[in-house]
Amino acid sequence: MARVLIIGYGNPLRSDDGLGWYAAVQLFRSSASRDVEVLPCHQLTPDLAEPVSHADTVMFLDSTHEGTPGELRCREIQAAEGTPSFSHHLSPQVVLGLSRDLYGAFPHAWLLTVCGKCFEPGESLSEEVAGRLPDLKERVRAVTTETLGMCPIAG
Amino acid sequence: MEVNERKTILIDPVTRIEGHSKITLHLNEAGRVEDARLHVTQFRGFEKFCEGRPFSEMPALMARICGICPVSHLIASAKACDALLAVRIPPTADKLRRIFGLAQVVQSHALSFFHLSSPDFLLGMDADPARTNLFGVLAENPQLARDGIRLRQFGQQIIERLGGKRIHPAWVVPGGVSEPLTSVNRDAILAGVPEVLAIAERTLEWFKSVIERFREEIASFGNFPTLFLGMVKKDGGLTFYDGGIRIVNAAGGVVANGLDPAEYSQFIGEKVESFSYLKSPYYLPLGYPEGIYRVGPLARMNLADRCGTPRADQEMAEFHELQRAAVLSSFHYHHARLIEVLYCLERTEQLLNDPEILSKHVRAIARPNAEEGVGCCEAPRGTLMHHYRIDEQGLIKWANLIIATGHNSLAMNRAVLQVAKHFVRGEQITPGMLNRVEAVIRAYDPCLSCSTHATGAMALRIQIIDHLGRLRDEIERPL
Repeated sequence: MARVLIIGYGNPLRSDDGLGWYAAVQLFRSSASRDVEVLPCHQLTPDLAEPVSHADTVMFLDSTHEGTPGELRCREIQAAEGTPSFSHHLSPQVVLGLSRDLYGAFPHAWLLTVCGKCFEPGESLSEEVAGRLPDLKERVRAVTTETLGMCPIAG
Repeated sequence: MEVNERKTILIDPVTRIEGHSKITLHLNEAGRVEDARLHVTQFRGFEKFCEGRPFSEMPALMARICGICPVSHLIASAKACDALLAVRIPPTADKLRRIFGLAQVVQSHALSFFHLSSPDFLLGMDADPARTNLFGVLAENPQLARDGIRLRQFGQQIIERLGGKRIHPAWVVPGGVSEPLTSVNRDAILAGVPEVLAIAERTLEWFKSVIERFREEIASFGNFPTLFLGMVKKDGGLTFYDGGIRIVNAAGGVVANGLDPAEYSQFIGEKVESFSYLKSPYYLPLGYPEGIYRVGPLARMNLADRCGTPRADQEMAEFHELQRAAVLSSFHYHHARLIEVLYCLERTEQLLNDPEILSKHVRAIARPNAEEGVGCCEAPRGTLMHHYRIDEQGLIKWANLIIATGHNSLAMNRAVLQVAKHFVRGEQITPGMLNRVEAVIRAYDPCLSCSTHATGAMALRIQIIDHLGRLRDEIERPL
């Protein structure tokens, strides 16, 4: 099982909402190591708790409405306490909580976001968000290096 | 939910289903349910906006109808395109499409049973609504929650290994599939089969152990005579990919058999009701609404002579002991769903062990040779039909989709009324009563996002009902 799990999620048909998806697809193509698994997803679902439970480090990649368009944030996150009443849209923290409660797993977890500018129907990222993709991937590589002692993701 | 001086009860939204709907219950002066309606409140419009598109785009376009069952739409659409090309796809492509579709059924049924309905079976119909979700299941029975996640994951992993991604994969194409199966992927899938077969069997045993607690629900959840419709193989066996249409009645008698799905308009009519964006198909010879029928897992168990795999056949035989003739209560959709999961897993294993499964010949190439094509398959929720007409340039002139959930529209409405009449009392309305009304809808596992289309016009009726339940005004757009 991969020691580093990267989950990029979002809707690639909704402009900047697809940031996580696009980033994950690019990372998937430039990674050739069993120690790194990359999962592009449309949304976070309870099924992700199982692969999360096998990783030492998990990174969630997403766009956000918070901040200035193009602003990149990277922060450590913890598993949620308590249970939500709605399982259709989960947060990374809830997925971590499921992984803890179902499988007894406590991976290190990071949430990397870029503030989006446009979330209307569209198949491309805005200039502000597209311009931050290299920085986002560089952060992913840095966290991966911290975990593995090296980075098998091409730059 | 709001109660309007006990005259009209509105359940909005209906929870733990796919898509958006509401239910209105109309009470008389004595507080008893007089009428009930399921309103599907979303409109999609795929049949219209695909006009003018190249037919070759249709599978990928139609997969976007639904994030839960995109594979079923891919298959039905590709089969319609096969008909436009007038090709017979290579045998290996046929088998690969079947595996793809079976995986779809596994993951969809797992979602329906474990995530949406198991909270009711485990915690009871009167449980606190805040707990009746996957997280409530996790707290009460973690193994059940893990099993649900693993089973769904297995189905999605097959889809991903074959199609390249879990949601909206574009691997199924006119003429076959775009890539052959690799030995690595085949072996990886086969390695997971024993574990998920064990999950399917223990879930069935668990469900059969708890079902006794739901005698009242079984008796009143959509328990009425209807026809049942679906595809079966030539030998009468269960199928999800290809076959003829069979129709049986409530006594289990065969009304029609071996009907060509391409001729569906000869035996299926479609009615648009003003209170819902969901069309109501019916069996033409009996007219509307007498031609009510059901599709999906319960129908398939009533229609097929056998599953064709050993463990599923054993369970099917036991299932048929529930009732002489056809099994009528819609509550038994859940049981039927689990049997189908077992079948799909066994059948997947058989197909993957086929010596031809790794062949590189997976696509027939041709230009359009027909102006009209119909593709039909059995989606998780029932019979799915895609019907296209193209012009000389191969552009879509017209499309009609009959979605599984749409076939069940009449039955769902009748089921809501039956449950509401049995459980809802105007003097004291409890969450448990209303949960049962929702639960009967969940038994059908509707995919309302898929099934909202109109036959060329959008039906619209707006009623203004005041706080005393009086109709104050009504606006209707004619169809």
